[in-house]
Amino acid sequence: MRYGRVYVEDVTVGDDLPPLVKGPIQQIQLTRYAGASGDFNPIHQDDEFAKAAGMGGVFAHGMLSMGFVAQALTDWAGAGTVRKLGVRFAGLVRLKDVVTCRGRVLARSSKDDLHLVDLEVWAENQRGEKVVTGKATLSLPSRG
Amino acid sequence: MPIRIDTRIVGREYPPFPVTVERGRIKDFARALGDPNPFYLDDRVGAASEWGDVIAPPTFPISFRDERADSGAILRDLGVDISRVLHGEQEFEIHRQLTPGASYLCRTRVADVYEKTGRSGPMAFVVRETAVTDGAGEIVVTMRGVTVIRL
Repeated sequence: MRYGRVYVEDVTVGDDLPPLVKGPIQQIQLTRYAGASGDFNPIHQDDEFAKAAGMGGVFAHGMLSMGFVAQALTDWAGAGTVRKLGVRFAGLVRLKDVVTCRGRVLARSSKDDLHLVDLEVWAENQRGEKVVTGKATLSLPSRG
Repeated sequence: MPIRIDTRIVGREYPPFPVTVERGRIKDFARALGDPNPFYLDDRVGAASEWGDVIAPPTFPISFRDERADSGAILRDLGVDISRVLHGEQEFEIHRQLTPGASYLCRTRVADVYEKTGRSGPMAFVVRETAVTDGAGEIVVTMRGVTVIRL
């Protein structure tokens, strides 16, 4: 695994973020994420509860998928580079789903010592359906 | 009978609550995501980094909770059962990296409430904003979350 350090000079508008594949999602990961995040909504743990709620069964915390998207960004650009990340949860992630996080560079700007890169980001399931869509802004170092 | 959402909740501020970033919580969070990044998990890598310690993953501040100010408190105020809520949107703006031992104050307010009818029927959207500030009152992280309530 590579822990990138991307410099602003290396980034071109239209570049693709290296895809990050996560999963298959298992119940143990949802339970672990509940503990780590403090979100113990039983809809992510208890299949009976989720069915009674009309959700057809357990599904993953949206924040788990958002965390995957953040990982795709930091795997590429390095830890501590995410300045802004905003997403919409567009679809449910179910047990056994495989989530692939992707992104594309939309813009690059530099002002004094601040170098920002805007990306479109999304995550899709194994059927290519988008489960997360959003935008990110990274602050990158310069070689200069 | 359909659930009615009380829009008077807009503008409500919840009691500020303090949080302290714990080393173990950062690592638990990164491991729960399955993110093995050494800048989150390896104290030696952290110590040698520009931050002088491990840092928290970008979405870690979602774990800043307080029972008087979290989504549960808002649902209680609205009289809505947890089985009817979904996470619609989430945004983080990170001004500074979070490191172990640091203490912050979190202030949450309800920024907006609106209703829409989607494919699965009528829904209410509750927009919450949380500012995380340091001891000097400077903003370290801001969060904006949209909770969807199936009416």
